Amino acid sequence: MDADEEDYVFYGTPIEREEEMTSRKKKAVAESSGLLRSLPPWKQEVTDEEGRRRFHGAFTGGFSAGFYNTVGSKEGWAPQSFTSSRKNRAEVKKQSIFSFLDDDEIAEMEGHSLGTSLQFDTFGFTAAELARKQAEKEQQQRPSAIPGPLPDEIVLLATESIGVKLLLKMGWRRGNSIKDSHTNSLYDARREARKAFLALSSDDVSTDLAVSEGVKSDLQNAIELPANDDLKSSESTPVYVLNPKQDLHGLGYDPFKHAPEFREKKRLRMSGKKELGLKNDLFAFKSRKVAPGFGIGALEELDVEDEDVYASGYDFEDNYIQEVEEPSGLVIESKQKLGSKEKGVLSGFKVASKLDYQLERFDPPVVPKNFVPHHKFHAPLDDSNKHDGDPPPPEAIAPEDNNLKLLIEGVATLVARCGKLFEDLSREKNQSNPLFSFLTGGNGCDYYARKLWEERQKHNDKSKQLLDVKSSPTVQKMTAESRGKILGERPLERSSRDTNSSVASADVIQLQFNLSDTFTKPASLKELSEIAKPFKEDPAKQERFELFLKEKYHGGLRSTDSGGASNMSEAARAREKLDFEAAAETIEKGLRGKESNLSTQQFMEMSATAVMEFAPGGLEQAKVTQAEELVIKKMYPKREEFQWRPSPILCKRFDIIDPFMGKPPPAPRRRSKMDSLVFTSDSVKSTTVDETVTSKLPVAQLDPQQFSTDVNAREIEVNMEVEKVERPVDLYKAIFSDDSDDEVENSTSNQVDDPKRKIEAANTTLNRLMAGDFLESLGKELGLEVPPDMPQSINKARTSAPKKESNDVNPGNISSLAVENKPSSTYTAVKGTSVNQEAPHDKAYDQESTQEVRSQNNELMLDSPSGSKIKVTGSSENESSKIKAEKMDQEGRKAKTPTGHRQNWSSDSSSEDERSRKRSRRRRHRSDSSDTDISSDHQDRYHSRSKGRKKGSSREKSSSSRRYSKHHKRGSRDSPSRSSRHSSERERSESKREKRR
Amino acid sequence: MGIAGLPKKEANVLRGHEGAVLAARFNGDGNYCLSCGKDRTIRLWNPHRGIHIKTYKSHGREVRDVHVAPDNSKLCSCGGDRQLFYWDVSTGRVIRKFRGHDSEVNAVKFNEYASVVVSAGYDRSLRAWDCRSHSTEPIQIIDTFSDSVMSVCLTKSEIIAGSVDGTVRTFDIRIGRELSDDLGQPVNCISMSNDANCILASCLDSTLRLLDRSTGELLQEYKGHTCKSYKMDCCLTNTDAHVTSGSEDGFIFFWDLVDASVVSSFRAHASVVTSVSYHPKDDCMITASVDGTIRVWKT
Repeated sequence: MDADEEDYVFYGTPIEREEEMTSRKKKAVAESSGLLRSLPPWKQEVTDEEGRRRFHGAFTGGFSAGFYNTVGSKEGWAPQSFTSSRKNRAEVKKQSIFSFLDDDEIAEMEGHSLGTSLQFDTFGFTAAELARKQAEKEQQQRPSAIPGPLPDEIVLLATESIGVKLLLKMGWRRGNSIKDSHTNSLYDARREARKAFLALSSDDVSTDLAVSEGVKSDLQNAIELPANDDLKSSESTPVYVLNPKQDLHGLGYDPFKHAPEFREKKRLRMSGKKELGLKNDLFAFKSRKVAPGFGIGALEELDVEDEDVYASGYDFEDNYIQEVEEPSGLVIESKQKLGSKEKGVLSGFKVASKLDYQLERFDPPVVPKNFVPHHKFHAPLDDSNKHDGDPPPPEAIAPEDNNLKLLIEGVATLVARCGKLFEDLSREKNQSNPLFSFLTGGNGCDYYARKLWEERQKHNDKSKQLLDVKSSPTVQKMTAESRGKILGERPLERSSRDTNSSVASADVIQLQFNLSDTFTKPASLKELSEIAKPFKEDPAKQERFELFLKEKYHGGLRSTDSGGASNMSEAARAREKLDFEAAAETIEKGLRGKESNLSTQQFMEMSATAVMEFAPGGLEQAKVTQAEELVIKKMYPKREEFQWRPSPILCKRFDIIDPFMGKPPPAPRRRSKMDSLVFTSDSVKSTTVDETVTSKLPVAQLDPQQFSTDVNAREIEVNMEVEKVERPVDLYKAIFSDDSDDEVENSTSNQVDDPKRKIEAANTTLNRLMAGDFLESLGKELGLEVPPDMPQSINKARTSAPKKESNDVNPGNISSLAVENKPSSTYTAVKGTSVNQEAPHDKAYDQESTQEVRSQNNELMLDSPSGSKIKVTGSSENESSKIKAEKMDQEGRKAKTPTGHRQNWSSDSSSEDERSRKRSRRRRHRSDSSDTDISSDHQDRYHSRSKGRKKGSSREKSSSSRRYSKHHKRGSRDSPSRSSRHSSERERSESKREKRR
Repeated sequence: MGIAGLPKKEANVLRGHEGAVLAARFNGDGNYCLSCGKDRTIRLWNPHRGIHIKTYKSHGREVRDVHVAPDNSKLCSCGGDRQLFYWDVSTGRVIRKFRGHDSEVNAVKFNEYASVVVSAGYDRSLRAWDCRSHSTEPIQIIDTFSDSVMSVCLTKSEIIAGSVDGTVRTFDIRIGRELSDDLGQPVNCISMSNDANCILASCLDSTLRLLDRSTGELLQEYKGHTCKSYKMDCCLTNTDAHVTSGSEDGFIFFWDLVDASVVSSFRAHASVVTSVSYHPKDDCMITASVDGTIRVWKT
């Protein structure tokens, strides 16, 4: 057989022999017939009717499930399956004994279960509990002290009284009476015992039985009594019912004591009122107007937004309100009764015709006619006060005798201080003394009079100051004369000796200073006929503004609280002052604008490109000056453009390619106060550079913050550049080769040049120069030394500028232009670095631009200096990516010019840098190989030319600048009509340069 | 279309809202309309037969705006509870709730594919929400506005929104650019012309302003109605021949688009007309009012 099988080839599956099958079946039958049942259970092997072992599952029985494999069969139990879904959670099953018992077993168990029964109320607790619950139920129906559905459990006492505590410790239970139930029974028992004793002693045996019976019964009673007593005691203390006193009767007074029918009436009325009150509570939302029909959630507060802003005396057509407020029958009834009560007619009563009780009124006391409601003080006024009104005695010449003069002065002060009495006294005393003759009208009399008056004045002032503290101490009483003296005026009659001369010198300065403080000089503006109201919204502010204007233009007395209300902080005041200045300036400008009859168009342009534009925060109101109101309609709508970065997912959902794909996340847009200043857009300015006075805005001064950040950004780059300057000669290969290309290209492109491009180039040049200015100052700061080689770069830049035929354009032209823009700056060599910085970016864009085949027309549109953006958006769809790039190019350039859209594009420029760098790197990798030869042979070519062009300039000196100038030029020449050869070659050289870097 | 073509005859009155109706909108084909109001419900109607079809309840406060997806399968709504609800139209279930606005949400719109809901809130922000993912976080927050954003419009690639700060801002997703058109007056509602070239902005100085979208130029001003304090809608007719808006005195105004003359005005409601919506094809209009009714107007 084996040998045969090796020889044959079998197809298909062999048919199973019948005998095998039958034998197995037989076996199974035999086994099931009880052969195996004799075996112990653990040795048995369970099979199905086919004789196979069935596997039920690892956790549901294994091979042998249930009693003799009865699982799943009719007589077996069904295996539990665990299912749990979100909708239908499987609850945690707790197994108890019942889950393992049959029904009959459970029924059997039931009989033995233990439970509590009300029947066994041994101590009466249950009954007490029930009673209390009942009382509580009643309590709820009763009016509560606190309105609303407040359960009384809440206001239970927190602590129990000591008595309750003690009682509890002694075994008292709540609801039981305190009375000792045993005392009574004991007493009774004793009494009975005494009776029995008496009876025993007095009576014979015949009564014995009866007595014993009695005693027995008494004893029984005594035994029974406690139980009864317990039952009684459980009811003995009623639950204290909180029934708040709501009427105005005295305590314990029951008005319905003898007329219970009124009690019922009153109860009905009260219930009606309560129901109504409840309704009021629900629907009257704290007296505020609330949108009808809808409440708010239980957890929400009533907010402003819930007020019905639309409710303006309009009633809804729908009748749903009536549904809500359908009153119950009881209420109607009570209302009817209430109505009858209002008439004052109770059944069986009628209104009294005459009132017994009358309120007695008393007239107020009569005030005597001569009564003055002021209190008079009897203390005598200072007698010197009466001299106030006196005209001052004329100036008198002091006597020549110094002693006499001193004496007079001394007496005068004393008299002034002590009063007239002293004068009289001294006069009497010294009548004979010739020295005191001035008192009686002798020598020096008039001087004395004068002196006395002066002293009195002084004294008066002092006392006055003491008297009323309110008078400000700074206000010094000054006579016309003394003030005149201080001011240096010449008095009409001037004595040779100025008594106050000593006072003057210090005071003069003081007073004059004060005067300058108090008075302001008018500014030169004359016609501020109508007062502009830029702060209409804030009357107080407007007032202050007007004051400010007045001060500025009219002069006059300076207000005490100039520069803001006293309650304003210093910073706020300063800000406001700035606001005012700005507003005043705009007004002035507006007036000037009107004067010079600028056309609205011009004015619009001016204000659109104006120095200051007020941001919506804070300064906004200044916009609405009256002068500008004339053009306000023309000014709006005003369009502004910002960069906005949609999130990638948003782009995806809108089915749009992310315009910022692969770019680093942008810096958050700055929202500082300086953002409110919109600078002249550089496109507009370039056309009107020479005439816009407004664009002379000193940027650095206005916005130091932003500049500092920029400076930081550029510092790094500058440092890099400096490093580059020191690089070996092979660096120049790239440059020179590149340059030679440029020269060739220049010659060709010059012919294709059109005026628009020239203008554009000029603009870019200008921008560069301005950037250069900035960087030059920066370089100074950093202490960098870059050889002064600017003229050449300018020359190169100007090759494509209008005067292309003359390569040696005077650099002064441009420089002067630049200086005009930024008067503070001067040219030095640092300018070279700036140009260099920009070069890579421009180059990057150039590459991009050359990669894409563009139409000349489009390019022109894009590059035209004014209104380019709008045209970009207007251009056709399929060029969008190109346009995008182009626009970014522009933007990037703009960002680099210091006066560009600084705040709008600040983030953009950085990202732009990033991108360009990346791109250039990529390109570098691509065109790594084939560059050295080209560059080398270009090198000498350049040498000769450069030497020819600028004589005597050493290479070391101009090394950096030469390179920069080249880049510069390229940047300026954004020509679309460049041949592909040029671009590719340039690309190569560029990439090479990049690599070296 | 002359003046005769204007829908001035009242065809139906849709009653059912309890309290003010804050917005009424036709669906994409104009066969149905949706309304929402102070009673915290959104209702679906057949305005042509005057039948109330369904009520959507889930909002906790008033519903301020509702919009239906172009395929009529989903709704989005927003309101005083600071949430956006994304509904299934047929079952009336809320599929998703978008929380994130810091205060009330004024307006809501689906984009073209109903994949994004853009909402405008009182919290000075626009938020875009993703309907495709399960995330309930906004996928974009635009917070360049300086006051409450009242209204939002979407095109295929742009989000346009009007704000009380007086600006209408266009966010171009394709270019990544924000255009801000300052109108100088608080913008109450914006609506786009059917040719998508213009924006009609309802300002709170009782003036409608028509802006050219590409240049930002003010093309025309429409005056005569009162709109000073309520959030009210405005729209153009389906032929872009007329401009229509409600008024706070219950009137409806029609202006000629070009010469800005009031072509027609009549009293439509007893109180403030909060919303107007014009049928996309027929001469039919629905108006909603504070008086709790929605009225259907036909020629």
